Amino acid sequence: MKDFMLIFIGADYGELGLSPEQMQQRMGKWFAWHGKMESAGIIKSGEALHPTGVRISGPERTVTDRAATELKELVGGYYVIAAADMEAAKAVAQDFPDFDLGGTVEIREVMVFEQ
Amino acid sequence: MTDSKLIDHLFRHQYGKMVAVLTRIFGLHHLETIEDAIQDTFVNASLKWRTGLPDNPEAWLTAAAKNRAIDLLRKLKAESNRLHQMGAGPAAMMLDEMFLDHQIEDSQLRMIFTACHPLLDPRDQIAFALKTVAGFSTREIAAALLLKVETVKKRLSRARKAIQKNDIRFELPDKAALLERLARVHEVLYLIFNEGFHSTQQQLLIRKELCGEAIRLSKLVLKKENLRNGAGYALFALMCFHAARLESRMSANLETIDLRNQDRSQWYRPLIELGDQALSMARSYDDQSVFHLEAAIAVEHLCATSFEATNWRKILGHYQQLYDWTQDKLTLLNIAIVLIQLEENEKARSLLDDIDPAHLEQRAYLFYGVEAEYYKNIGQPQKAIVALDVALQKVTNEAERAYLLKKKNKLQ
Repeated sequence: MKDFMLIFIGADYGELGLSPEQMQQRMGKWFAWHGKMESAGIIKSGEALHPTGVRISGPERTVTDRAATELKELVGGYYVIAAADMEAAKAVAQDFPDFDLGGTVEIREVMVFEQ
Repeated sequence: MTDSKLIDHLFRHQYGKMVAVLTRIFGLHHLETIEDAIQDTFVNASLKWRTGLPDNPEAWLTAAAKNRAIDLLRKLKAESNRLHQMGAGPAAMMLDEMFLDHQIEDSQLRMIFTACHPLLDPRDQIAFALKTVAGFSTREIAAALLLKVETVKKRLSRARKAIQKNDIRFELPDKAALLERLARVHEVLYLIFNEGFHSTQQQLLIRKELCGEAIRLSKLVLKKENLRNGAGYALFALMCFHAARLESRMSANLETIDLRNQDRSQWYRPLIELGDQALSMARSYDDQSVFHLEAAIAVEHLCATSFEATNWRKILGHYQQLYDWTQDKLTLLNIAIVLIQLEENEKARSLLDDIDPAHLEQRAYLFYGVEAEYYKNIGQPQKAIVALDVALQKVTNEAERAYLLKKKNKLQ
């Protein structure tokens, strides 16, 4: 088994102006997905991120508001899961609930360094 | 915790509660800021709870809203000194008090009564109530009322402006104005319900939600003793009676099914019983209302074991009284329908002659639909088809058109 990070990009509920009812329905889908992964025992870790934040970049360590970047590129959260290979990780990502809201899942294999 | 499930509509209902409470604390002037803040709370919750629910989601949301209130207090205090007295000590106690159940209800009632303020345009009242009291988004309101999103936005902003311009206060009207406003509250709730029940909206889910919200809010109004009256109970009864039939009114392929062809065994009994109780409560008050009559008509339909067994005579009496009160042309049309059922075709004809379909505006097609029924009943199917053709020219709604077409095909 290898570890893969699923990174969730875009589909910010606040920006999309989802109603309370829609948000509750979305959450139901996330529960279902989380539950499925959990019962398969493949979740290593995972967090949601606040939409606000800053970026520090360049030799001058320039600080910019995250608001300056494209909202569609905003990372909303991630999971690290165990999967046999990229194909298996892709299969897991099929259930990501927010594709219909324009959300994206980026899948990256976690590097393992030989001792 | 991942298998836990939230109470249906918890977010939507909690949204209305929290907006009302915060408005009570900060005043209607800050309504937009408050709505944004509460919306934010829900975005946070929906992210935080993805992997599992807190033990008491409702309490979590309430606590989050309270924290937002404290943040807002600080922010507003920094902006002006007007709110200086709020914050620490007694004010903080007041804040806690505001989040107690009975105070939340009280705040929600204030919001309902604000939405129905006479200085708000009647069209804006419904959109505003759906947004601030029932927690619908602009898009949901547009879908429910079959309006453009832009139109809803305009109505909401016009309502907010009217509130600011007239300096409307967040409170129930005083005794002198209370009854009149209460009547408008009933009317608005009735309109919201009708949007769901009679709507041309094909999505059953949206229709059910509108009806559900209207029922929930009517119940809330009845909780407070000085807001109870016959009209309020009769309205609640009427909604229960209609809602009991909501699902049987639609076929699997989303066509409207008329009363004659509904599967009566599908009518939802518990709601009918609830309605019965409410109607007898309504009759224990002295006031009379159109809701009493409409509920009485609905009861007659519900009592009948089949369409043929309907007590049309009794229904006729109720409709006639209703017409005496309202002088509403659509009621006259309903009377004509009942007369046709009673085989009193000549009376029906002379009533139809008295109605100018042009006065019914976009509902003129209903007139020709009834006229077709009349011709069919007196054995003149050709004339019935002609009438249905006129109805088909006038109708704009697809579901209704399909219904009329079906009728026409049966005659040919």
